Amino acid sequence: MPLPLAAASLAPGLTLAMTGIVKTFPGVRALDAADLDIRAGEIHGLVGENGAGKSTIIKILGGVYARDAGDILANGEVLAGGAAADMHAIGIRIIHQELNLVDHFTVAESVFLGQERTDRFGGLAKRRMRREAEAFLRDVLECPLDGQTLIRDLGIAERKLVQIAAALIDGKARLVVFDEPTAPLAAAETGRLFNAIRNLKARGVSILYVSHYLGEIVDICDRVTVFRNGRHVAVLDAPNPTRTDEIITWMIGRQLDDLYPAAAVRTADGIEAEPSFAVERLGDGRSFADVSFSLAKGEIFGIAGLIGSGRDELVDGLYGLRPPATGRVTRAGRPIRLDPALAVQSGLVLVPRDRRRDGLVLDLAVTDNINLASLDEVSTAGFRRERRANARATRLADLLDIRPRSVGTRAGLLSGGNQQKVVLGRWLAAEAEIFLLDEPTIGVDIGARAEIYRLVRELADGGATVIVSSGDAAELIGLCDRIAVLVRGKLVEIVRCGEISVDGLIARTTDAAGQRVAS
Amino acid sequence: MSLAISAPSSRAWLAGLVSHAALIVLTLLLAYLALRAPNFLDAQNLTAILRQSAPLAILACGLSVVVIGGGDDVVSGGIDLSLPAAAVLGAGIISYQLSVAGSGLGTALLFGLPAVLAVGAANSLLVVGIGLTPLLATLATSVAVSGLTKLITSNRRINVSNRAIDWVRDGDIGGIPASMLLALLVFAGLAFLVHRTRWGAHLQAIGASRAVASLTGLPTRKSVALSYGLAAAAAAVAAIAILARGSGSSPGSEEPLLLEMVLATFLGGAFSRRRIVTVWGALLGAVLVTALSTGFALLQVNIFWVSGIKGGLILLVLVAAALDERLRR
Repeated sequence: MPLPLAAASLAPGLTLAMTGIVKTFPGVRALDAADLDIRAGEIHGLVGENGAGKSTIIKILGGVYARDAGDILANGEVLAGGAAADMHAIGIRIIHQELNLVDHFTVAESVFLGQERTDRFGGLAKRRMRREAEAFLRDVLECPLDGQTLIRDLGIAERKLVQIAAALIDGKARLVVFDEPTAPLAAAETGRLFNAIRNLKARGVSILYVSHYLGEIVDICDRVTVFRNGRHVAVLDAPNPTRTDEIITWMIGRQLDDLYPAAAVRTADGIEAEPSFAVERLGDGRSFADVSFSLAKGEIFGIAGLIGSGRDELVDGLYGLRPPATGRVTRAGRPIRLDPALAVQSGLVLVPRDRRRDGLVLDLAVTDNINLASLDEVSTAGFRRERRANARATRLADLLDIRPRSVGTRAGLLSGGNQQKVVLGRWLAAEAEIFLLDEPTIGVDIGARAEIYRLVRELADGGATVIVSSGDAAELIGLCDRIAVLVRGKLVEIVRCGEISVDGLIARTTDAAGQRVAS
Repeated sequence: MSLAISAPSSRAWLAGLVSHAALIVLTLLLAYLALRAPNFLDAQNLTAILRQSAPLAILACGLSVVVIGGGDDVVSGGIDLSLPAAAVLGAGIISYQLSVAGSGLGTALLFGLPAVLAVGAANSLLVVGIGLTPLLATLATSVAVSGLTKLITSNRRINVSNRAIDWVRDGDIGGIPASMLLALLVFAGLAFLVHRTRWGAHLQAIGASRAVASLTGLPTRKSVALSYGLAAAAAAVAAIAILARGSGSSPGSEEPLLLEMVLATFLGGAFSRRRIVTVWGALLGAVLVTALSTGFALLQVNIFWVSGIKGGLILLVLVAAALDERLRR
């Protein structure tokens, strides 16, 4: 079969200079005169903490957002517009973090979705599309696949490569933006993706590589731009593994404040002697495997990990939202079954990350939300005792400092921080002993944050065991006694908070040493 | 160590059984009929089955287009329950025009067919324009349209005798019954549009995942609206087939068609490699469901039992589809 040249050819790389880019949203300046400079044919890394402005600049590159101010020069020419069509026309292609593929489509159908080739009669040129898709995957991405294979029969890395092929098959891509491309991949699979990306570079395409994994960044990138608070703060030439500390310093650039209450230092013996909650070799067969730890009463235990590290899945697994494939969980030495319905009964409770969706009945009053998990205690023979319910809710609202204090207010009208306190209040009312807090301060303002931290510490001092899963390294360091570090589904280390800096924790979660990246 | 997805094999085996369950039961039933029902496999009976199945086949092909574009989720996905009622409305108007008003066939079609298309337009408006759930919206139009049919026909049977209509009932070309040819024409047109054109590829993507489709920049609303229009066009052709099969129109003939149409369409998904509803699967499903009805009639099984069995089959198909979805997650 002759190789169709058109399919495997790519356009020369784009030089893109973005200067003084500003983008504001109500109440937030997401980009504050940021610069980003990408040379033709290089792999350019972009790093920064959550909220640094990476996503915003990707959306501007994709034409999803229009910039408020700033210039974009494409190959030296001023780009007037900024709509999706303009960006597409100059050859910018975004490889989104989400896979965006239809499970029961074939590889060829997925690659050509929205840009199908047709024959003379307006029908689909199926054979030709299959041939071109296969040639592109094989020659450009080094991924020989049968064009007839269904997406659902592919591994995650192969799906990612199909997604890339779909963005590049028209041969007009000149700058490809990869947004966290390795997030859903296991360590062994990243190598294939890197081969494909290096291949694109060898063919002269410019690449912007956005990732939290610093080990990958220094491994694959020619230059790296660091964003912080909506601005570029540094551009590093020739990054290498010895420079990750430098990158982390640029990323954080702030001191820990006294947002966090002082932790009573516990001894290792105390923890081992009386484990209140232990996890042994837990795995879900997919996102995390072989996770073991043992927690004491009164301990605050952190779980750190990037998107794709299996952190969210582990929390769901601990609460029983996702069935375990291997391992077991014990409470006070006795194995327990993981099931949300039993979890409440056995005193293990979850404060979910999306509390607006999963944690609160927004249309119900604060009282009702607080008493939801302990209706038995405010009822007599199945009838609710209004006075008792209100008294109880009011007492907890006082304790938690929920504002406004009126417990008749609809939960949906409260601020994020106060909603979080209502969810906490419900579990306090249910007298839980093990608290699973998933991203407890997302969308919570700084004042309410300090109160939540104080509350969590009080819970622990009162004998509860608290597990905090968070993407915020500073929060974990400030709040926890020990922290488990997850990288690509594996618990690689449990660190003691007094012995590690924020930089050190970030270096571990971002796999800055690059040990686990297959090359 | 790789953490890549690989479901335990016992689960895959179970999923395979679940997705084939309806097909297995249907095969067993047909095998039983072939053995026990007198003359079931005679050429004459097989031709009769093809002839009988035309209205159902046309409606099922039409429904498959809506399901493909709206997704095969049984509750929130695409469905058009008003298709049989719309087809019977068309048949009612045409027979009224022919037999009561005394107009010619051309005039009768000119009144009848646009009425069916108007039902499709109403569904498009309700589902795409206003955003109602297809299941409830088309159930409501179905009831309304049935009422309209009864008004027009005064809730009476209207006999029709017309040369062309009679030919559709009895005629054939090269041994293939004329009514089946009508069904094959509708099938060919819809199958080409859905499975062989860009529009069809987009419709399939839209039905599979609205999110993927809109991120790819496909015109979701327009395509879904058009799918209801195409289904209505199929119902308009079905009106002629229904008229021919019954030599006129009878009020209430949409009721058995409704159940069989849904059964045939979703059963069709079991024939496809990807376990999705397809136009050709719907056609095949319609023929098999009609074969089932004919076989039971030959065995003189009580009609209420037949309804019960068909109801059970449709539940099996829907439960299997829902389980399939869950097992694959």
